[in-house]
Amino acid sequence: MSHESAYLSAQHITKDFGPVRVLDDVSMDVNAGDVFSIIGPSGAGKSTFLRCMNLLETPTSGTLQIGDFTITIGPGHKHATKKELSTLRRNVGMVFQSFNLFPHLTVMENICLAQRRVLGRGRDEACERALVLLDRVGLQDKADAYPGRCSGGQQQRVAIARSLALDPKVMLFDEPTSALDPEVGAEILAVMRELADEGMTMMVVTHEMGFAREVGDQVFVMVDGRIVESGDPHQIMSDPSHERTKQFLSAVLGR
Amino acid sequence: MDLSTVWYIVQGVVWTVAITVLSFAIGALGGVGVAAARVSARRWVRVIARGVVDIIRSVPPLVWLFIVYFGLAELGLRFSPFQSAIITFSIIASVYLGEIYRGGLAALGAGQIEAAKSIGLGRPDLLVRIIAPQVVRTVSPSMATYGIGLMKDSALASTIGVVEMTFRANQVAQNTGQGLTAFALVGVIYLLLSAPVGIWTRRFDARLREKYLVA
Amino acid sequence: MDLTTWLGYVVELLPGLWKAIQLTVISLALGYPLALLFAVLMDSKIAPIRWIILVLVEVGRGLPLLVLLYLFYQGLPQLSIVLSALASAVWAFTWSAAAYATEIIRSSLRSVGGGQREAANAIGLDDRDQFRFVILPQAARIAIPPLLGLAIIMFQLTSLAYVIAYSEVMQSAYFLGTKTFNYFPVFLAAAAVYASVTIPASALVTGIERRLSRHV
Repeated sequence: MSHESAYLSAQHITKDFGPVRVLDDVSMDVNAGDVFSIIGPSGAGKSTFLRCMNLLETPTSGTLQIGDFTITIGPGHKHATKKELSTLRRNVGMVFQSFNLFPHLTVMENICLAQRRVLGRGRDEACERALVLLDRVGLQDKADAYPGRCSGGQQQRVAIARSLALDPKVMLFDEPTSALDPEVGAEILAVMRELADEGMTMMVVTHEMGFAREVGDQVFVMVDGRIVESGDPHQIMSDPSHERTKQFLSAVLGR
Repeated sequence: MDLSTVWYIVQGVVWTVAITVLSFAIGALGGVGVAAARVSARRWVRVIARGVVDIIRSVPPLVWLFIVYFGLAELGLRFSPFQSAIITFSIIASVYLGEIYRGGLAALGAGQIEAAKSIGLGRPDLLVRIIAPQVVRTVSPSMATYGIGLMKDSALASTIGVVEMTFRANQVAQNTGQGLTAFALVGVIYLLLSAPVGIWTRRFDARLREKYLVA
Repeated sequence: MDLTTWLGYVVELLPGLWKAIQLTVISLALGYPLALLFAVLMDSKIAPIRWIILVLVEVGRGLPLLVLLYLFYQGLPQLSIVLSALASAVWAFTWSAAAYATEIIRSSLRSVGGGQREAANAIGLDDRDQFRFVILPQAARIAIPPLLGLAIIMFQLTSLAYVIAYSEVMQSAYFLGTKTFNYFPVFLAAAAVYASVTIPASALVTGIERRLSRHV
């Protein structure tokens, strides 16, 4: 898989927090429509890597390419401009573990805000789109509610709708179900599965092995900031080759 | 400004510190009583405590100071300026520190008390070994901040004649016209006195946060 | 001391109350916007500006208000600047209020969780929009109760203007005391005057606080 044909390409991403190297030369090429899962023990750097994809974290060095947008970070290279960041984030949506809805705005306002301010859509257009998305995640009747009045699962669905409102080309999910009950989490995974079936390019950090196995096109196992194994989910989960992967999977699946 | 005048003003620090430390110490003890009354099981105790606390906090300290110094004198209770200052600020400090304790108690939560009871601890042990240490740790920064506030309030004692820093600076200003120098000097001393506490508070806060937040 | 005479004292103190309220309102009307400016400038990229604001805030908070008052009223004359009692009071109170309010505002801005900023970044909002639509509304809800509480405290502190001959409540009370020699009832009347404003005001602030934290 060459870098040029991939829709999203991360090359040699390295991230240091002071003396600690959290990401060590991580590379990943994602084609349009791919669903990649990233699994691994806590502290492995999975979330950090994901957040480098939309530059919520700035890598210490590496190259990021999404569609037509390329940026190389490191000594001697310029920082991303505000405009570049804005363009990047319009095309890359993110769903957080803790939802992060804006509590002082209604569900509808949460979904419309970026549409109006970032995409410049008019109020009516934004509202229409918001209602379509709310319908898609099954929350039409919650449009005028405040996040405080919504359950965790509902909030996460609103969060997904909010990210989709900008029509992103890639969706990043950072442990989207970790803060939810298993049953509720399953609802979210179902929404994510639908998205995948519709062809959305997705990168998912998760502990949900079922999702990684059934929905993912590829699985990446990250340990201590490095990808130790990657490939077909079914194959890796039933017959892992790397020692750390075996350790991790037996702890997670063997219960 | 000549050195002797500077020295005259600086000596006021002793009184400033005396008022602050004494009032704070008495208030720290009195605050326990106030907090206890505020959370008492008996409703009438709670209500009266709430009323007293509200009234004392709603009236400016200067007014209380005047009531104690000028007012009580009329009723036969004559206190010296210094005594009046201590009495007034001790009472006020008891109220404010009591409220700070109450906040710390609330933050502790019932769980601690339940856990202690379930392993058979009696009331005095419960208070001394479980509640007090935790509350003190939580409220120490707030208490320190209040202490600084109390030191600033001590300047009010100058209005009834206690010869602390502000009083002396005022005297010098009126006698020599060098008010700016005098009050600037006093200002610097107040800042120097409160700086170490401020730094300690910030460090303590940061250490507490580190301890309880495993990132 | 019968009730009618005492109530008479209260009435005589009312003009002083009005002056106290005036001083409070003017000082806050000047001080709070100033605090917002200070709060923003404290994060300025220009070091000298940061330092100047820091000094202004630390001195405003670190010195007793009484000393600030004296500085303007008794201190400036050393530089041949003579201010009226009202002017000195306004300068001192505004500085003090602005210094304390700056801390409240900065603290409220910090309290808006990092997750909010991340989410706003992730959906592509630029810094200005982030501040305007996400950070500021939430910070305001957090800052308003303590700012109102500070206002009540400032009102109480107007009693200090007594020392610079500003004719607010304490000044009036003192003169009334010297006239009638009934210091105790007179100062109790002063206490009552303050409490009659402070207690309802505090109750109002608690009510506002409750309403503001409904959604968040």
